[in-house]
Amino acid sequence: MNINKRENVAAYSFLAPTLILLGLFLIIPAVLAIYYAFTDYYLLTPDRRQFVGLDNFIEIFKDPIFKQSLKNILIFVTCVIPIQVGSALGLALLINKQRKGNIFFKVAFFSPVVLSLVVISVLWLYLLNPSEGLVNNVLVNIGLNPQPFLSSPNQAIYTIVFVSAWQGAGYQMLIFLAGLQNIPNTVYEAADIDGVNKWQRFIHITMPLLKPTSILIMITTLIAAFKLIIQPMVMTQGGPMNSTITPVYYIYQTGFSDRMIGYASAMTVIFGILIGIVTLIQSKVTKEDDI
Amino acid sequence: MKRMVVLVAWALMTLIITACGGDGAGSKDNNAVSLWVHTSDETPEGKAMQAIVDRFNQEYEGTYSADIEFIPRSESGGGYEDKINAALTTNSLPDVLTLDGPNTAAYAEAGMIAAIDEYITNKDDLLPSIIQQGTYDEKLYAVGFSESGVGIFYNKEMFEEAGVDLSTLPTVEEPWDWDQFMALNETLVTKYDKPAIDMGFNDQSEWLMYAFSPFLWSQGGNIVSEDGSTAEGVFNDENAVKTLTFIQTMIEEGYSTITPVEKGFHTEEYAMKLGGSWTIAEMEEYPDVAYGIMPYPTSPDTDELVSPSGSWQYAMSATTDKEEAAGALIDFMMSTESLTEITLANSVLPAAYSVIEEVQGEVSDEMNILIEQNAASAHARPVLSQYPQISRIFQQTISDVTYYEENNDIQALLNEKVQQMENVLN
Repeated sequence: MNINKRENVAAYSFLAPTLILLGLFLIIPAVLAIYYAFTDYYLLTPDRRQFVGLDNFIEIFKDPIFKQSLKNILIFVTCVIPIQVGSALGLALLINKQRKGNIFFKVAFFSPVVLSLVVISVLWLYLLNPSEGLVNNVLVNIGLNPQPFLSSPNQAIYTIVFVSAWQGAGYQMLIFLAGLQNIPNTVYEAADIDGVNKWQRFIHITMPLLKPTSILIMITTLIAAFKLIIQPMVMTQGGPMNSTITPVYYIYQTGFSDRMIGYASAMTVIFGILIGIVTLIQSKVTKEDDI
Repeated sequence: MKRMVVLVAWALMTLIITACGGDGAGSKDNNAVSLWVHTSDETPEGKAMQAIVDRFNQEYEGTYSADIEFIPRSESGGGYEDKINAALTTNSLPDVLTLDGPNTAAYAEAGMIAAIDEYITNKDDLLPSIIQQGTYDEKLYAVGFSESGVGIFYNKEMFEEAGVDLSTLPTVEEPWDWDQFMALNETLVTKYDKPAIDMGFNDQSEWLMYAFSPFLWSQGGNIVSEDGSTAEGVFNDENAVKTLTFIQTMIEEGYSTITPVEKGFHTEEYAMKLGGSWTIAEMEEYPDVAYGIMPYPTSPDTDELVSPSGSWQYAMSATTDKEEAAGALIDFMMSTESLTEITLANSVLPAAYSVIEEVQGEVSDEMNILIEQNAASAHARPVLSQYPQISRIFQQTISDVTYYEENNDIQALLNEKVQQMENVLN
């Protein structure tokens, strides 16, 4: 056995647990889902499964709720990304500026990240309660009308955008912070000597040097945003009038409440392909080699 | 050294794999029956079940034994049902399980549960609605251990303050129709300048199906055809339009609200509440509120009183090889003594005639009104294997119709929902 071979054996031995877990819980289920997508698998009768060709896919293209869920998730993604990434960058710049006493702010902004999404959703449910919630009480006290944040079909999805951005911004703030602290001070010192003002400094030095961090954050936020389920599940149950139903939530409902595993798998495949295409476009736009 | 590393890695891997192995719910002992229930052992219902199983084990000592496992069900129905579904795919269902009424058809159709006619000794004692909900394809597959009901809870003081004479209020023998009911709401809204009744529109779950389908049945309408094959011409007929118009009017006129204050009836925010038998138990913590219960209002066209019913049931899994023991356990849990115990503990309605007699003297007048309404007008939800989808489409219809500005064309809304139901049924 030469050195290389032995190293390989050691490497694969270390990888084995992870590979096995990945295979069991990711690769095999994914392959099975693609197979089930072409069957009429009903959860309670796995043995009566039949191959039905493209029936499920034809059905999905006629399904108004699936279309509605795609529309909702597009609204969500296009709104949540600029808000979340923008506020994360803003917070990171603020904290980065004053090196002293920023532990408190770091913890404050980061705390929503460590709380479970269910807890966050319930918390905002209380805060946004139309008659007893803190937010509406404040609005009424400053002379505004109380708002039906979660019970209006026009507002509910934007309320969920806000809550999600508030929850996720802290995590990205930390990543931006790491990126900012990686920028060597010497560059800024050189810029000072050249008499650059603060704004130019940000546009011409900070932003370009943060680009790899920004791309990483964009990609992870985008994929996470597409998978939205918990907030609408807890806060609105997909309502009012399906205005907050999301693809993953609809897939969950179809698969586990309605027991139509075949149909849900087909939606999973279509949705997976859509996310793949979006990620591909994004990586083309923001050349991968920048990371 | 390297060899050591490899060894450690393999050891870790085998540890992970063996740790992931589970064991099924069935046990080897041929007379030990496993039972899964959907509640927690902290609830009055769970405690009563534990007590009943303990009695069973005492009584049948040496012959049979039963082991109860509590798998609480979450608000949205997950938890317990997820576990059942998982056990189904791994073939590890318990010998006896609980299931909600509307699941009977799906479970029986899928061959998950066995027919239990021969094991139930007091079938004639059970209420017709219990037999109806547990029957599929003319065989009895499941037996409900309690009944449920809904009535209109009203605050006596607030009524009197608004000038409503309590002696004129409706009874099970002489219910009011929707028009009389709306006139009452008008009086209360005029007096208090806020919604008169919390109908639970914020609870977007099975509640909307359970509590609002009786209005449709009272009008003579239905959700799907009798044979369960179609919703076309059924859920979008004139009766459905009339029923949903009434429900929409309740919101549009400000009689009810889609965003009620939490526990609004309990804290005297609203004069009325559409509530279930469990609300009686909740009200014990608010002793200062003097309340009564009225029956469901009826359609002015038919004057027929219809109220919701249905509840959780016991069933035997089709895979059990301990039919005798499992049958004996279910029969024991369905005895008058066991049913009385669970009915009183859980503040629910009795599932059998003998139990009605047992509890009538023990429960409040309000509970007796619900028991009386249940005996006179209980209507089970449709027995359909596609029940979950049909129920959800119905729930969404009720929820959508409360948005009266967006959905003032009720016929169009119903046509759209019928189309969705047709996709499910075919």
